Parts: sequence; C-alpha cells; structure tokens
Amino acid sequence: MIIKRCFLLCLWAFQSYAQVSDFEGVNFRKADSIALAYKNETLHNLPELAYKLTSNLPTEVEQFRAIFTWVCGNIANDYALYSRNMHKRQRFKSDSLKLENWNSYFRTLVYEKLLKRNKTICTGYAYLLEELAQLANIDCKMIHGFARTSTIDIEKLDMPNHSWNVVKLQGKWYLCDPTWASGIPNSETFQFQFHYNDGFFLPNPKLFAINHYPVHKKWLLLENKPSFQMFLDAPIIYGEAYTKLNVHNEPLKMHNIIRKNDTVLFKYELLKPIKREAISLLIDNGSGSYKIYPKSISNEGRFLTVAYAFKRTGFYDVHFYIEDALISTYTVKVKKAKS
Amino acid sequence: MKTQLITTEKKPFRALAYGAILMLVALAFNPVYGQTQTTSTEAVQNERTIKGIITNAEGPVESASIVLKGAEVGTVSNKNGEFTFPKPLKTGDVLLISYLGYDTIEVKIEANTTFIKQMLSEDLIEFVGALNTNKPYKSKRKRQ
Repeated sequence: MIIKRCFLLCLWAFQSYAQVSDFEGVNFRKADSIALAYKNETLHNLPELAYKLTSNLPTEVEQFRAIFTWVCGNIANDYALYSRNMHKRQRFKSDSLKLENWNSYFRTLVYEKLLKRNKTICTGYAYLLEELAQLANIDCKMIHGFARTSTIDIEKLDMPNHSWNVVKLQGKWYLCDPTWASGIPNSETFQFQFHYNDGFFLPNPKLFAINHYPVHKKWLLLENKPSFQMFLDAPIIYGEAYTKLNVHNEPLKMHNIIRKNDTVLFKYELLKPIKREAISLLIDNGSGSYKIYPKSISNEGRFLTVAYAFKRTGFYDVHFYIEDALISTYTVKVKKAKS
Repeated sequence: MKTQLITTEKKPFRALAYGAILMLVALAFNPVYGQTQTTSTEAVQNERTIKGIITNAEGPVESASIVLKGAEVGTVSNKNGEFTFPKPLKTGDVLLISYLGYDTIEVKIEANTTFIKQMLSEDLIEFVGALNTNKPYKSKRKRQ
C-alpha cells in the first residue's frame, strides 16, 4: 500500500503536460529545410506533397514538424474571406436553414481559394494540417472552439470562432495552432503578413488554455480543466507570449480591482531566463500612457514574479512587455484606500 | 505399278499432312483458352494496369489525385474523372484517392481489381476563423 502511494506520489510529482520540450533532443532544422525546399508545391496532389515532406525524416515529430512548417509558410490568411464569413454567420445565427446554406456555399468557396490561391481562414489551416498529417500516417485531429484576442468582443462570443489541431506523437496528444503560427494581419491595412511564430508548435496546454477553449473539454489536455467562465475572465495574451512564456500564472483575471497602494503580482514561468531590465509595463490611464520599469522583480531561473503598487486611484490598461514583445494585458481599477 | 506405289506412298503423307493441319488448328485454338487461363491466374498474383473513374454527387471529378500509398507515384483524373495508374499494381497495394474538401479514400487492390469506380463524399466542415492580432487591447471608456 505504502509502495503504491509512493509510486502515485512520484507519478504526480513528475507529471508534466505534453509540450515541445518533450523533444528537446530533436533538431528540427532538417524538417524545416525540407518544408522550405517544397515552397512552390501546390495543393493539387496532397498525398504526393505529404510524401515529399515526410519520407526522408526518421521520426514522427520531425515528419509532423515538416508538414506544420510547410502549412504555416505557404498558406495565407484571407482577411476578406474571414470578415465576410463572420458577418454572414452573425446575421444567420438564429436561422439554422440560412446558416446551413451559407456554410455549404462558403465551404465550396474556401476550398476553391485554398486550391487556386493558397489562401484560407483558420479552419482551412487546421483542415489541411489534419489531411497532410493523416496522409503521412500521423494521428492528427482538427479541434473547433473559442479563441480570444485583444480585438474579440467576448460579449459576442456565443459561437465557436476558431479551429486548431491536436496531434498524437509517441502516444501522447499535443496542441498546435497553425493559423496563429503562420502570421498576423497588419493592424492598419489588414493585409496578412507571414511571420512564423514557433510558440504555437506544441505549446504548454496551460498557456494555450488562456486564449483557446475547445468545444469538447477533453481537448484542453489538462488534468484540472478550467471552466468556460474562467476562460472568458482570463487576461489577454498575445502571440509573443508563446515565444517567452511556458505558463502564465497571475493575474488570473483580465479585470482587477484593488485599493490605492495595493500591489498587483505578475507571475509567469519563462521558456528561457531573461534579464530584469527586459521587463516593463506600459500603463494607459485613458488620457495617456507611460512606461514603468518595475523594481520589485524576483527572477529565479525560469520563475518570474513582478510586483507593482498602484499609488493613484483610476482605471488603467496595463500592458506587460518583455524586451519589445507585448506579452499580456490586464485592466486595473484602483479605488480609494480604506480609511 | 510405280504410279500405284507412289500413290500408296503419297496417301499416308496426305493423311499425315491433314493430321498435322488438324493438330495445328487444334493447337492454334487450344492455347488461346490456355493462355487466357494463365493470364488470369498471373493477374491474381502479378502486376497489372489499373484504370478507374472518380466521381462525386454531381458527376466526374477532374484533378482528383490517385497515388500509391507509401510511394511517390501517382496520377490525376482527367476531365471525365478517368485515370490510368502509371505503374502496374499488384494485389495488396493501396491507392489513396483524394481531392481537397473530400474525404480521402483508401482503395485496396484485390485479386480481381482491374477497374476502380470511386465516389468521393464531401468533408462537411463549418469554416470559421479568428485572426490573431498584436494590436494592444484598449478599454472602452466613458467620455468625461
């Protein structure tokens, strides 16, 4: 009995979530260069493409990597297609027949754009990744769910709005988001720009759950599953968070209320140690913004804790930066101190 | 007498000649059946050319890809949905038939497969898309 308990305790102590660090010994350079070598391939013959991308790679994870890199580097996100779909889906959301008709028409349109112009919206990325991986005998599924970004109004988040993938490698399920890994639209012109973000390749499920919530909870790939409300309440994290953080621990919520002179704690687990000087906060009080280099920083290896006390009442948007990378945003309402 | 002799000598020759012709005719026809049977048996075990047609609910599918599983050899269907696989195939080989937006089908070459008629069914997916952005969040504030 004691042995069994010890075993279970050890199992618990060493349990870590499936993420890219499981493959620390694997060098993805060869997989990435194969993906690059086939840059001009079209989508007309998917089985052949899958074969070309994977047949010279020895491990499943490298094969999947080549497919992932190829999809992210060759398929552009079509903003016009995205906004047209969102507009129609919102318009027909209470008319199931019209919505079904629209979905059917839109599906044909998406495949046509994908085939002829290598352009799509996120379900297209997830679909293509699933197809190519399956053709290479890799168990990969498309996951539908909810995603949050700084521009998504959560009041209107009543239908799934995003798709990503899970992949089974060496018997374990991992997450990835090919759409968000491929790039982002220019914030002013809305033109899509390829900018590969490796952070979305097999990230820590705990970080992923901050801004991704699947329709079926099992695909959170977490033991302690957060509720949908916790997901809605969570802070905004940006793409760069995936390049710097392994886990986002605190603040747990986007909107925080404190008293004057109270301290807000920012607690993260980093992917790589960073210098204290790299950390800054951009605080916006509505009429202007100012940059703060917090003094109270505990930076032990990969565990980072930053404390900042708000000395004046007000309502602030607080943006957390590591170097020039925008990591996360919170709001802080500072009320009068208790008398 | 001499003539008679010749005649008697010629008769067996003629009989032999007719016999030979008959044999040849018989052989000429027999091997036809024999060959047909042999080819059929060999076809079961050996490689043969596979042809086929790919359709969907609306008719023939042009540009569907047909490849041999685990190898870099394949073809695409023509505007009538027809294809002839470029490499002879043997029993047990698996062809992957795919077209973007349709379920990929695996077709195993059976002992008697020479022609494949395959209908593709659509992947019924609802397309959605949330774009990521690096635009900083901005709170909506009441005008003061």
